[in-house]
Amino acid sequence: MAEASTQHPDRADSKYSAFDQHLTHRAVNVRMFARLLRWTKPYRLTLGASFVLLVVGALIAVAIPLLLGRVIVDEILAPQPEVSQYVLPDFGLIAITHWLANLLNSDLLLAAIILYVGMVLTQSFTNLAQSLTLTSGALKTLRDLRVDLFASLERKPSSFYDHVAVGRVMTRVTNDIENLYNLITSFIQIVADFVPFFIIIWVMFDMSVDLTLVGLGIIPIAVVATVIFRLIITKFFRLIRDSVSSLNQYLQEDLMGIEVVQLSGRQEQNIEEYTAYNRENRKHEFSAIDYEVLFENLNTSLPSIATALIIWYGGGEVVQGSISIGVLFTFTYFVNMLITPISGVGQFFNTLFRSMASGERIFQALDWEEQLHEPEHPVELPERLRGEVQFRNVNFTYKKGNKVLDDVSFHIKPGEKLAIVGPTGSGKSTIIRLLARFYDIEDDTVFVDGIDVNSISSKDLRQRIGVVLQDFHIFSGTVYDNISLNNPDISKERVEWAARVVNADQYIHKLPNGYDTELAERGHNLSQGQQQLLAFARVLAANPEILVLDEATSSIDTGTELIIQDGLKKLTEGRTSIIIAHRLQTIQECDRILVLHRGRVCEIGTHEELIAQKGIYFTLHELQFQDVDKADAFATPEDLKQRSDRSRWLHQDDTDDLIGGLSGRD
Amino acid sequence: MRHTYSGGMRARYQSGPRRERSSFKHLGHLRNLVPYLKRYGWLFALAIVGLVVHRIGLAFVPDFTGTVIDSLADPNIPPNYFWPAMGIFAVVVVQFIIFVPVRRLLRRIAISVTYDLRKRLFNNIQYQGPAFFNKYNTGDLMSRAVNDVSQVRMFVSFGLVQITTFLITLAIVPPMMFRYSTGLALATLLPLPFVVITGFIITRKIYPYFMERQEAMAQVTSFTQENLTGIRTIQAMAQESQEIKRFRQTATHYTKKAYRASRFLAYMHLTMTTLTAISPLIVLSFGSYLVLQGHIDVGTLPRFLGWLLLLAGSVAHIGWALSLFFSAAAGSERIFQIISHQPEVQDKANLATKGDLKPSIEIKGLSYTYPEATEPAIKDIEVHIKAGHTVAFLGRMASGKSTILKAVVRLVDTPRNTIFVGGQDICDLPIQQLRQEIALVPQYAFLFSASVKENVSYDDTTREDEVVWDATEAASMEETVADLAEGLRTVVGERGVTLSGGQKQRSTLARGLIRDSNVLLLDDVFSSVDTETEERIIRGLNRLRADKTTILISHRVSTARHADYIYVFDDGKVIESGTHGELVTRGGHYADLEAVQSNQDRDQSRRARLIRKLQEVVQPTQVDSEQQKYAG
Repeated sequence: MAEASTQHPDRADSKYSAFDQHLTHRAVNVRMFARLLRWTKPYRLTLGASFVLLVVGALIAVAIPLLLGRVIVDEILAPQPEVSQYVLPDFGLIAITHWLANLLNSDLLLAAIILYVGMVLTQSFTNLAQSLTLTSGALKTLRDLRVDLFASLERKPSSFYDHVAVGRVMTRVTNDIENLYNLITSFIQIVADFVPFFIIIWVMFDMSVDLTLVGLGIIPIAVVATVIFRLIITKFFRLIRDSVSSLNQYLQEDLMGIEVVQLSGRQEQNIEEYTAYNRENRKHEFSAIDYEVLFENLNTSLPSIATALIIWYGGGEVVQGSISIGVLFTFTYFVNMLITPISGVGQFFNTLFRSMASGERIFQALDWEEQLHEPEHPVELPERLRGEVQFRNVNFTYKKGNKVLDDVSFHIKPGEKLAIVGPTGSGKSTIIRLLARFYDIEDDTVFVDGIDVNSISSKDLRQRIGVVLQDFHIFSGTVYDNISLNNPDISKERVEWAARVVNADQYIHKLPNGYDTELAERGHNLSQGQQQLLAFARVLAANPEILVLDEATSSIDTGTELIIQDGLKKLTEGRTSIIIAHRLQTIQECDRILVLHRGRVCEIGTHEELIAQKGIYFTLHELQFQDVDKADAFATPEDLKQRSDRSRWLHQDDTDDLIGGLSGRD
Repeated sequence: MRHTYSGGMRARYQSGPRRERSSFKHLGHLRNLVPYLKRYGWLFALAIVGLVVHRIGLAFVPDFTGTVIDSLADPNIPPNYFWPAMGIFAVVVVQFIIFVPVRRLLRRIAISVTYDLRKRLFNNIQYQGPAFFNKYNTGDLMSRAVNDVSQVRMFVSFGLVQITTFLITLAIVPPMMFRYSTGLALATLLPLPFVVITGFIITRKIYPYFMERQEAMAQVTSFTQENLTGIRTIQAMAQESQEIKRFRQTATHYTKKAYRASRFLAYMHLTMTTLTAISPLIVLSFGSYLVLQGHIDVGTLPRFLGWLLLLAGSVAHIGWALSLFFSAAAGSERIFQIISHQPEVQDKANLATKGDLKPSIEIKGLSYTYPEATEPAIKDIEVHIKAGHTVAFLGRMASGKSTILKAVVRLVDTPRNTIFVGGQDICDLPIQQLRQEIALVPQYAFLFSASVKENVSYDDTTREDEVVWDATEAASMEETVADLAEGLRTVVGERGVTLSGGQKQRSTLARGLIRDSNVLLLDDVFSSVDTETEERIIRGLNRLRADKTTILISHRVSTARHADYIYVFDDGKVIESGTHGELVTRGGHYADLEAVQSNQDRDQSRRARLIRKLQEVVQPTQVDSEQQKYAG
């Protein structure tokens, strides 16, 4: 979007975003095509059957005119004494007709007609079976390719999505795959088209070498045209695919930020910018069409040109008496069959070039090397982690940007609760991202239970570490689906339990269908706080051994937070937790506090220690609790303990009693 | 949409297309395309003339061949093969001269229609409200803008041409046949009506197959879009394999739908081609008989066969062409569902911009229920905000705070006579003006893949850098931006530098501040910002916006205390209001919050009261026992 305003898309062909920019455009078409065929492997039987059926159909297609010409006309309707030098082979059709006539005890014409009808029906049903097997094989091949592409995207590391727009990658999964459909089907078609070609060419050579050569004379024209066409068109097809990708990306982002668009009154300008991409797409489509139409027309004209050549040359030969009229007649009929595969090849190349622009984009995504480093022999994690976490001199820099973490070291004992505080952008979330292995880090810097995280498979690690992300995502689907994330191992009871712990249960019951209520995309029909509770419940439902809360309650009101805190207390007992928060009140229950500033660990220690230090934490604390009488600024450890004892009210069945007791005590 | 793959999908597999099984009335959806085609009206006429000439040219080729055979077969006629050959060449040349431009023209029209439709789609989407976006999700809309639009393109490029070609061929070929032999012509054309009628009967049933294919494609798009947008959540929860499995289901669902549609076409093709295959038999058998009887010349046979090929070719294609009509009708239905969707919030007719609005806001008895919700989000709200005041909204989550702010800028549509800005009913103000006067910074910090500058100065990209710097400074973002590699030009958002949650939030805050509007609505924009920074920003705000109106939603008493007036919400109602001092003395919910937030734990009665109040709404739970079951 940025560039669109400063740089008009029409003027800059190369301003596509990262990823599309990385397309090398050095496509080796044949190799790419061969690679695509690998996906047909499970369906080779289906596609092979389709191919055989196609050949059978093609053979019948050759036999039908022979039956009409040689049997019905020559043998039955107009039996003529042999006048011409050449007799067309009948491939035993005459014999078959006689045999059939004998069998049915009918006359020859009826037998021939029965044979004809039989052949036509066989041909039709062969074609039907052929097209069904072909469609099924091609669709399934593409389904697999699509799933593989999706799977590869699903496993791309965070750093990939830092610089690649969703709209662009999804275009590959949807439209680019669709574009390959014609390629697969026309490939089989073209191979099979050559079957009659070879039969006919054999018969034709047998009839007249000269005429056949004249007929084939147009092949060089077709070849030259295809080569030229390829040189010109490839570029346009790529530009078209790129511009579709841009269109998709722009639309996607605009939809994601539609509220901002409307609030800023940007509709008109966005329409203009989208139109600029749209216009660009139209421009390239226009250019491609100009050449395509020319090329197509040449291809469809080939049979007419060949017919003209044969009449011209063959007419002379007839006059000279070197061939018969019948041969000329047959030739004009056959020349269509001869040229169809040749013009078909031309059409196929057109499809090939069009699809290859898509194929290139698909394989680029599949081959994209940006992968998270996974250990070759991942360490088997114990049944239950103790939950020790250690960072040893960790330095980290994102791809584009400054150093985010600078020599960060700390150690969390099993079962300890560590709070991380610090101004925005100080690197708090980065610590979490590294712990959950969203990014690659150096060996021997981050340890869980004394094991280098680089030697644990990221999947294993993430199953053990539950992170409530700051930028969580709510999917469209039911509340259940959103908490269990469709994980079949998570029961409904467990989902409801997790929702109760975070107090989400309360509002979920008020939704029209409770847990079965459909949530809109990105949780549009929930408030931000409600969404956050869902994201929280989601992590609890997965029962991780190390719990990480990255601003998990930032949009939640204090009252609700109090309830959650109490609910969590028991849950986090003996469970290592890392809590990031700006509201110091949120981290009251933590054992130790780490203060991060500009990527460095500035202070670490218990609340009392840090207050005594009179450093950053002290200042933050002062600021937030400024109303409080300084002397009573914080509770003593005894107070904290007392408080946690009291807060057990939440876990009691008879809460009223306890609350009564609580208030009574004061 | 998600549920449709899990539950709904299975049911649909078994029952086949669920819409009315047969009807031509679906083609009515194509009527929507008429205005888009009309603007190319005379070009179409030109194209049709071109097609006629082209078709006539092609019809002459068999005639030329026939002439050659006749001349060679009959010793009384001098051999004539050079000129017919030249004639065929001429046809080829004419094809290039006429048919190339015609095809080019038609395809260009198709591309232009695509362009127009996309433009209209995008245009209309820009003005839609929450009801629309709850109904159609991003992936679905994208699928309509690409896949459905391309169905329409196929229809204009090929469907219309095929049908026209068929009709032209039907008009040209039979007369030519009759010129040579009435009997043979009649016999040859005999099966034709049956073919056409059968074709029409079959195509009537095709529509649901295409509709479902298009819908399944939209599901693939939606799934991909949502999944990739939420990829970090998926990865953090290690659910990749699960998601891949689910994607496979969705992709397979599409494969099945696409296969069904193709299978239908294949059946149709079978019927049509089998029926057409009868004609050549008639030509040869009956034709040969006529030749032997001396009624026609030998050359007539190749003529008839050639013409038949022309006819059969277009008959075989007519099935395909009709299928394009129906798939375009399905596409068109889906496209025009969007294009014809009226935005729920619209200006009344003939609204003029009102001059000099005082930045005061009055809300009188406002209630609002979201579409498809059972309970109202806000009930009978009375809020009065004086010009120049800073007002804070506090309250539990989902207590209606955000809804009120959205109502003020008409992101949700509220009844008349409930909200007034500067004494004017907001329904009487043009939306454009209303949103210019009142800037809302939404809770969700959304950044576009664009430079910091464009993100901040999103409403007006022409602002000077200094102005943008000022806004970032007011949002306490200037240091962060200065640290970025390219300063204001650094691309952030989806494909840019990753900003922290607080940095994103402050960028969106700057986006609101830069507009320097008379009324500023801040929806909990400090939730990810540390307290120190927040303090600094708010102090700055008080100075910068001294005579302007500000409403801010916050959960922190420390933020609210700076406000001139405070409203406390619960369950969609105002439960308390007053100044900080008043509310603290009153000892209600606000005072409890204040106490708890400022860590005055010693005042246990307050804490207990707060919790008890909250508890009233909480169902009694057995968290404890269950916890032991799961926490293990």
